[in-house]
Amino acid sequence: MAGAIIENMSTKKLVIVGVILLLFQAFAFMVGGLIAPSPTTAVDYLAVKCVGKASHRQETKWFMPWGSNQCDKIQSFDEAVAKRIEANDIVFAVHIPMSNNEMSPWFQFILVMLQFDIAFKMTNQIKDGAIVNLDVKLAYRDDMVSEWNEMARSFEKRKLHCNFTFPKTYVNDGRFYTCDVLPFMEVGSVAHKYYLLNIRLPVNERKKINLGIGDIKDIHLVGIHQNGGFTKVWFAMKSFLTPSILIIMIWYWRRISLMNRPPVLLEKVIFALGISMTFINIPVEWFSVGFNWTWMLLFGDIRQGIFYSMLLSFWIIFCGEHLMVQGEAAEHWRHRGVQLTNPFYSIWASDVGTELALSFIILAGICACLYFLFLCFMVFQVFRNISGKRTSLPALSKARRLHYEVNQGHWHWGGHTVQVNSAFFTGIYGMWNLYVFAIMFLYAPSHKHYGDEQSSGQCITGIDEGVKSGENIQLTTTVTHVDGPTELYRMMGKEAQE
Amino acid sequence: MFIHWEVFYYVFILMTHMRSCCSWSVNNFLMTGPKAYLIYSSSVAAGAQSGIEECKYQFAWDRWNCPERALQLTTHSSLRSANREAAFVHAISSAGVMYTLTRNCSLGDFDNCGCDDSRNGQRGGYGWLWGGCSDNVGFSEAISKQFVDALETGQDARAAMNLHNNEAGRKAVKGTMQRTCKCHGVSGSCTTQTCWLQLPEFREVGNYLKEKYHRALKVDLLRGAGNSAANRGAITETFSSISRKELVHLEDSPDYCLENRTLGLPGTEGRECLKKGKNLSKWEKRSCKRLCGECGLVVEERKAEMVSSCNCKFHWCCAVKCEQCRKTVTKYFCVKKGSQRGRNESATIRRKSLRLKKH
Repeated sequence: MAGAIIENMSTKKLVIVGVILLLFQAFAFMVGGLIAPSPTTAVDYLAVKCVGKASHRQETKWFMPWGSNQCDKIQSFDEAVAKRIEANDIVFAVHIPMSNNEMSPWFQFILVMLQFDIAFKMTNQIKDGAIVNLDVKLAYRDDMVSEWNEMARSFEKRKLHCNFTFPKTYVNDGRFYTCDVLPFMEVGSVAHKYYLLNIRLPVNERKKINLGIGDIKDIHLVGIHQNGGFTKVWFAMKSFLTPSILIIMIWYWRRISLMNRPPVLLEKVIFALGISMTFINIPVEWFSVGFNWTWMLLFGDIRQGIFYSMLLSFWIIFCGEHLMVQGEAAEHWRHRGVQLTNPFYSIWASDVGTELALSFIILAGICACLYFLFLCFMVFQVFRNISGKRTSLPALSKARRLHYEVNQGHWHWGGHTVQVNSAFFTGIYGMWNLYVFAIMFLYAPSHKHYGDEQSSGQCITGIDEGVKSGENIQLTTTVTHVDGPTELYRMMGKEAQE
Repeated sequence: MFIHWEVFYYVFILMTHMRSCCSWSVNNFLMTGPKAYLIYSSSVAAGAQSGIEECKYQFAWDRWNCPERALQLTTHSSLRSANREAAFVHAISSAGVMYTLTRNCSLGDFDNCGCDDSRNGQRGGYGWLWGGCSDNVGFSEAISKQFVDALETGQDARAAMNLHNNEAGRKAVKGTMQRTCKCHGVSGSCTTQTCWLQLPEFREVGNYLKEKYHRALKVDLLRGAGNSAANRGAITETFSSISRKELVHLEDSPDYCLENRTLGLPGTEGRECLKKGKNLSKWEKRSCKRLCGECGLVVEERKAEMVSSCNCKFHWCCAVKCEQCRKTVTKYFCVKKGSQRGRNESATIRRKSLRLKKH
């Protein structure tokens, strides 16, 4: 793209642009690091053991773990044994959040993880592949006094992943298994202030439900939600970036359309990249504060997916063009030279030329095959990764763990606390926006060349008459230098025309 | 018996706090007025008790086995010991208090667990909305510090040692906590990851502190004279140079083999020990030698009949349908040389008490 701004800019101006972009990048990091709190909060809830006779199960009775209307509690299951309370009569109750707090739509989502404290007993061990059956009820309310409204009710199964790290002997009776954290629940929008979970682990010997799951001592639930402060900072950033990218996009397309030729593929891709970036940027999440839109999480994932696929397509096309140009440069230039003097010269006319052209095509074919194989390999890796995720997570490689440890919390710097995680998120987000911005700005056609284009066009009119025909443009999928009429395909096209 | 001691003790502390509340409470955690203390007092008492139970477990096969007399954390006399065992007792009690408070926070027993001292400097709900609360651990650490450290009123070396060991106990809880993480980025990728700290089982803390007990550092400060300001400076300097994770003691331990009424030590005579058994650790296997042989006592074998429940059908909670089984077990006890004659009589008594213990 000889006419692009990047190629016509003086080094000085280029450096200035680079410095400005860097400043914005640093600013994006600082917004996250200094203003925003950490992205998410995890709250550890220990389920309170309430006693509710099984006959009440059909009734919509809700068990509150604390507060004015709390249930009959037992402290431990030894107490239950003494009082002759059975497993079916025990309800685990968890109130989200803790007292004196309330949930808010700013939290965006609640993710609840489940963890069992299971004591080892020689006589009552966890069987292989044991599955826990949970009878779960979820309710909400918006003030502390009104009735609970049922939100969901389900009978869930979770496979236990526990191992005992000590020798399995009587001496170690009572020590705990190490159990993996199990995914439990995900709420996509936090529209209510208070949530209540009631969990039962019903036992049915005939149906073999909840047998052989060991001696459960406690149930921990870990509630994860996005911090309100982070959401606010994030939304503010989105609201600022949307118009910025939108403006540069409009400017870019105006530049393209001002040229007296239809846009080429690369230009279209860059424009599409801008669109997908804007799609991510548009702060539709503002609505989630007012409306109970549960699909917001999914929508966010989809938008991110579209952007990344667009970005990868852009890179492939971009690299393809430039690799092609480099590899073929020498030969091209020679032919171009010949072509300049003799418009009837065609590569297919000479034997050597034909072989050369064919070899290029074959090489391209091999590259395409390799690329496809590589892609398959990557997809295979992804599948393996997903299936092996559960086992691989605790045994992360050292390097990765180090990365996370850096990634974990906050740094203290003088009197300030730097939220590394948040800085990372806002920084990355800002980086992609700046990248798209820079690409659109630098690869827009330079206005210096509007005139040139026409004059140079006139100069070589005789040579690339066909360039301006639509059919030919379609063939030139790999054209980067719009006004450099020497691409292989173009020659082929010419040949065909002739 | 001991449990009551502890509870009364903490209630006493509570009362002193209540009396001095108005001038003393300048902190964020305990709101205002004496009611605030009552919320935590039962947890504090329960925590101290669980610490002592753990102490008994950890020292079951040692010459010193956490006897009740030794557990009076502070009698305001200068007679209280400052040895390795006292260091452990202080550490495990303060750890127990912190542990129980953290646990009860997660249960929702208290109104404000870590939410009052928001790290953003904003109080109440706004801090929670903006950046969440700080974790329960910080909160319970502060509360347990308030309660347990308030017992040390003196400014001498003993007080400094006790404070140091209390701190070591709290550090032990923090140090044994496990970090668990969850990835929740796009389709479970690790772009977003949230980590939290989980309490280990209390046994873990006990084991950790037992190791620290074996490696406790001795500080020679008792020879210094009086309570002068210079001396006090030396004490603070000495203790601040020692890592806060380590246990510290000033005196050597007495001979626990012998009974010592002035120190309230029962001696090892009559103690049970372990001899044979597949799954015993080295420390346990050598317990008869340690408790009896090296103390000039002999090991006596006694057979006892035990009734226990067996062939139970278990559910995840609350065992059901058990049978009663009788079996004979062999136990070993330390007795004085030549006193085996009165054996039969004492054996029956033992047997009874054993049966009582099991049920």
